[in-house]
Amino acid sequence: MKKRLVSILLSTAMVAAALSGCGGSGETATTTETKTETKADTAATDATATTDAAASADGAYAGELEIMHYSTSEESQGNGGSDGFRTVLAEWDEAHPDITLTQNVLANAEYKTQIATLAAAGDLPDVFLLQGMNTIEWAKQGLILDLTETIKASPYYADYNTAYFTPFTADDKIYGYPCLTGGTCTVVIYDKQMWKDAGYDAFPSTWDEVEKAAEYFNGQGITTVAFGNGGKWQANSCFLSTLGNRYTGPEWFSSMISKGGASFEDPEFVKALAETQRLFTQTEIFNPDYNAVTNEDAREYYISGDAAAFIGGNWDESYIAATLQESDPEKWANIGFAVLPQPADATVAPDSQNIGLGYAVAINAKLADDPAKLEAAIDLAEYITGPAFSSFVAQNYALGGLTKVADVDLSGFDQITQDFYNWSYVDTTTCEIYDSYINSAVWDILNTDLQDLMNGDKTPEEVAANAQVAYEANY
Amino acid sequence: MLKTIKPKGWVIFLYLLVPVAAFVFTVFVPLITAFVYSFFEWKGGPNKTFIGLDNYMTLIQDEVFWQSFGHNIYLVVACILGQIGIAFVLVMVINSKLVKFKTIHRTFGFFPSTIAAVCIGLIWNMIYHYQYGIINWFLEKIGRPDLAKVWLNEPDLVMLLVSIPLIWQYIGYYMVIIMSAIASIDTEVFESAEIDGANAFQRAVYIVLPLIKNTMLVCITLCIAGNMKAFDNIYVMTKGGPGTSSMVMAMYGYQISFSQSNMGYGSCISVAIFVLSLIVIGGSQGLLKRIMREKEG
Repeated sequence: MKKRLVSILLSTAMVAAALSGCGGSGETATTTETKTETKADTAATDATATTDAAASADGAYAGELEIMHYSTSEESQGNGGSDGFRTVLAEWDEAHPDITLTQNVLANAEYKTQIATLAAAGDLPDVFLLQGMNTIEWAKQGLILDLTETIKASPYYADYNTAYFTPFTADDKIYGYPCLTGGTCTVVIYDKQMWKDAGYDAFPSTWDEVEKAAEYFNGQGITTVAFGNGGKWQANSCFLSTLGNRYTGPEWFSSMISKGGASFEDPEFVKALAETQRLFTQTEIFNPDYNAVTNEDAREYYISGDAAAFIGGNWDESYIAATLQESDPEKWANIGFAVLPQPADATVAPDSQNIGLGYAVAINAKLADDPAKLEAAIDLAEYITGPAFSSFVAQNYALGGLTKVADVDLSGFDQITQDFYNWSYVDTTTCEIYDSYINSAVWDILNTDLQDLMNGDKTPEEVAANAQVAYEANY
Repeated sequence: MLKTIKPKGWVIFLYLLVPVAAFVFTVFVPLITAFVYSFFEWKGGPNKTFIGLDNYMTLIQDEVFWQSFGHNIYLVVACILGQIGIAFVLVMVINSKLVKFKTIHRTFGFFPSTIAAVCIGLIWNMIYHYQYGIINWFLEKIGRPDLAKVWLNEPDLVMLLVSIPLIWQYIGYYMVIIMSAIASIDTEVFESAEIDGANAFQRAVYIVLPLIKNTMLVCITLCIAGNMKAFDNIYVMTKGGPGTSSMVMAMYGYQISFSQSNMGYGSCISVAIFVLSLIVIGGSQGLLKRIMREKEG
């Protein structure tokens, strides 16, 4: 009998172990993808080896080159930056048959974890995407190559939008080629028809007016503005980063970056926190579950018509536009874009939005020992951030990259794409994306506290003080 | 065992070598390296600075960590009562003569524990959902929409709400274990108890429980060990939020290590989780054994 019990216990344990294995299947899938992509690349290389031999004459390096990025094939559906990145990467791979390009592709969230782990192990891939806020620390640790001179010598240097290099600069040295597309992190997407019905020709420019409109919309059982902060980072990237600038102005954040004496406890920043708290706890503008749902959930409220507006980033815009174009062309034609409304006691930059390139193509410092390989890596980095990429995204998606594209012909695009292009790059002023700078420890602590702040469980002063302690300890 | 079919010593050694090596490599090596790293300041690069006990001093004063530890203990208590308690009651019900289709009950009872925790988290996210969730829908239907809440955004309720899916998921798991233990009890014992006029409750408490107490002890140990390292479904449901209201130790360690790139302090937290888990498991076993001995004595 005892044996039977033991055997049953053991088999249960085995089943449990086998099942818990299921949880890890996501990772296995990623590895498989990596493997298949490598295989496909090799196949592509083989196929072009004979035809494209001339192209390889310039690159002396022959062998393996490893790149890690997060433009997965799923991500590239409808996302111009990812699509462009994959396209130019494939072009480069084809043009260099002697080089076996190994791509390790993960979804963004996994990418961030994995690249942090590899950095900690000192085992970064040859070429990878560097997030702005890691630049200073990784440069200090000697993980990433100083590319200042290389970038200045780049054939495309004259076309570079040099402002985009700032997040990837430490001690006046540049550590990466900003990549993917420059998109806003804070845009108000609203339904023109619904707001017209409420008596507004355009989305209000002040929160006071939004509050008044909320009375109307709540009467209709509609959420005025949908927002999702369930992932904790959204309130920072897609709200506070722009709202803060309206109070502090850009000098404050520059001073924070350069440790020039500014502090999270400066009264202007605390005011921005207080206003955030007021808007979320004392008005009825937002969906009540803003802290429990993610931006992906919240944008569905907008798409389904349960909300009259939505605040999110350019990635939400591309999803909403693509979804509505297919499912509800009439609602799609009514999409309007606006900047975050101005708080009553804020004084700076009422039409600002935070925009930038969050990642840059960086090169492992170890490649300095292998000049031929380094040359290939630089060539790759220049190509995938250069005019080939910018032209592709400009022509296909009306988006901008690192290099300026002269006279983007917008006429071929639909109205919404044109509107968003003009809103993003022409009609608004810009400010910095907070979490492209400083470091992850500070933002992680602030983001956690922001959730409490927006629930009314922590005061603006407490949140500011905690962030300042983290800032002083980690930056 | 018969001498002729008993394998030679070196054969047994070879057979064992592979799993033992795998175990050492995946459990002991990381444990020891984490212990070593916990004495370093290691912020996301190859550079490490030895800082002695600084990480541990920080840990002692880290309110969020101790709050997380409290949440783990909450989970342990809730799950021992919920998972093992409800599993025991259900087993007694299923074993009664009035219940038909015993195998079906057993299969369906076990079913939730075969689902990945991430899926369970997503399912319950929908149940708790403010706009589309079944709870708020039900409250509206019975005319009490005023009771509707953003369930997972209530700091005071959130721990209870995240433990419910956890309890629900593993009831079947403990049911199977307890059932197998009861199956090994001689049926004559029950028959004679019945003849003596013991009712179902008395049979459960005075006959079944004492006879399967060793199995129950195993269940409780499994339950504590499982909940001290709780992570996945809470991560899916709340990411530890709102704020840190549903943060557990493993998630905090993960957040420190990977979101904040502080591997040294993250290692220190891992070591603390290991030590605290050992203390809780050891303590609870000692306590239970003492209670049982007192009962017998």
